[in-house]
Amino acid sequence: MVEYEGVYKTFDAPVLAGVDLAIPQGETIAVVGHSGTGKSVLLKSTIGLITPDRGDVKIDGESVFRSGPKALEQIRRKVGYVFQNAALFDSMNVLENVSQGISEAELKTMKHAELLRRVGEALEHVNLDPRAVLSKLPSELSGGMRKRVGLARAIIGRPEILLYDEPVTGLDPVNGTVVHRLIAQLAEEMGVTSIIVTHDIDGVLPIADRVAMLDKGRIRFVGTPDDFRKSDDILVRAFLHREVPTDELLEVV
Amino acid sequence: MRPGPGLRVRRFSWIGWMQTQSRITEAQEDGSGSGRGRSPLRPAGRFLGRLGRSGEGVAQHTGQLALLAWRIIVLTVTGKVSLKEILRHMYWMGIQSLPIVLVTSTLAGVVTSQQGGYQFTGSVPLYILGSVVTSSVVLELGPVLTAVVLIGRVGARITAELGTMQVSEQIDALHSLGRDPVRVLAAPRVIAGAVSFPVLVAIANTMGILSGMVAARATLGLSPQSFLYGAQLFWHNWDMFYSLAKGTTFGLVIPLIATHMGLVTRGGAEGVGRATTSAVVFMLLAVLFLDALFPPLLLQ
Repeated sequence: MVEYEGVYKTFDAPVLAGVDLAIPQGETIAVVGHSGTGKSVLLKSTIGLITPDRGDVKIDGESVFRSGPKALEQIRRKVGYVFQNAALFDSMNVLENVSQGISEAELKTMKHAELLRRVGEALEHVNLDPRAVLSKLPSELSGGMRKRVGLARAIIGRPEILLYDEPVTGLDPVNGTVVHRLIAQLAEEMGVTSIIVTHDIDGVLPIADRVAMLDKGRIRFVGTPDDFRKSDDILVRAFLHREVPTDELLEVV
Repeated sequence: MRPGPGLRVRRFSWIGWMQTQSRITEAQEDGSGSGRGRSPLRPAGRFLGRLGRSGEGVAQHTGQLALLAWRIIVLTVTGKVSLKEILRHMYWMGIQSLPIVLVTSTLAGVVTSQQGGYQFTGSVPLYILGSVVTSSVVLELGPVLTAVVLIGRVGARITAELGTMQVSEQIDALHSLGRDPVRVLAAPRVIAGAVSFPVLVAIANTMGILSGMVAARATLGLSPQSFLYGAQLFWHNWDMFYSLAKGTTFGLVIPLIATHMGLVTRGGAEGVGRATTSAVVFMLLAVLFLDALFPPLLLQ
């Protein structure tokens, strides 16, 4: 269970202005909204990469911001984070990158053959051929492959929650669909809670249990994909149908 | 009189005052402030404002550096830093820096020897040149020139590397994977610097003295025996300790500033460029400042 309780964050201007949202275990929720509405900030605050000015985030009832370093590390181990540009370590090959998802304590005692098996398994989970990519550096991979390696790194530690920051940005429609199917497949097979921050509303609606729309740092809409499609909210309609902003809409934005 | 429990006393802050002055003058310049007239104090206010902002920045960096250094000390003492990583960084900081350090120290020895010879010929016994070259190289040129070279080769690389990791979310990725960037990235680099820099300084010293001796022989006809006689005449064993102490200090400070500046980088490729430039300036100033502190502390 992930709970956001009155999360406020200001940089030069307010980005999050009191976000309250509870996401039960096993749910896939898509967080959508216009650029600059604080979606990525919200996602980063989930595991304490950004500290809010006010409010709290709880994972399975444990506060992310009131935990000590050890407890925070334990919380983070429950969560897999897929970064917008995969954030693979440039100097490491795919094997080393994916193995970073395993805890250091486990890595210390793990035999190389077991490590290869675990990494291979994670790569196969994301539809990559381990023999073809294991020794490659991130710079030798395509954008779609990098995203999938990032996903393999996030799932190898068997997390309970997966956070996706713009998982299909920069991918062609085919690769985007592949990644969305993977997200749905992982949610089903692993029973993980998935929080997907995205602009790709068409791709995410079929796989999400709920959709939350952020606007001006607050949750403007939360509901099922069907509710989202039928919503009369002017911003939801504009987002869903890619409507050209009218004067009325511009005023709202 | 002490204030009561309900009374809050706001302390006067020079930095705050200077920033306020700066804002007032900026507002006056825009015409948005209450006083639209051009105040004769405006340039002074602006200068003080800039000074305040710079002071605040320096104080912030110094505090963060101290915290980073403390965390590295704790991690080192508790044995949480990977030896493999330290050795890997020692290789590229130490072994791979050898060619440039050798070239620099050789040229420094040659130049010192020739300029000394030019000044001494006909006025001072030439064997004194051995002492001048040795002291100049060991006390100053060896450690400082090596540090300057390593600021460019090692420090700038560390800042650019960690800065790029920061702006491409690789540092966030480390956090998300339960890894501590200070333990994984900063500590091995700082320890490797502290170990390998004094070794490089010792090599630079040796090379500088040898090249000075060869240059004295080639240009002034001073025999190696006379050169070494002069070198031994004013030699103190303390000088070598002094030189290596400088090397160790610079070896700690350069990677420390470089990693700090890398880890606080913001703002994409431009931010990485800005952070690297600032890091080089900070490292140079720190090395020269510390270098100035050494004689009163260790040569009394």
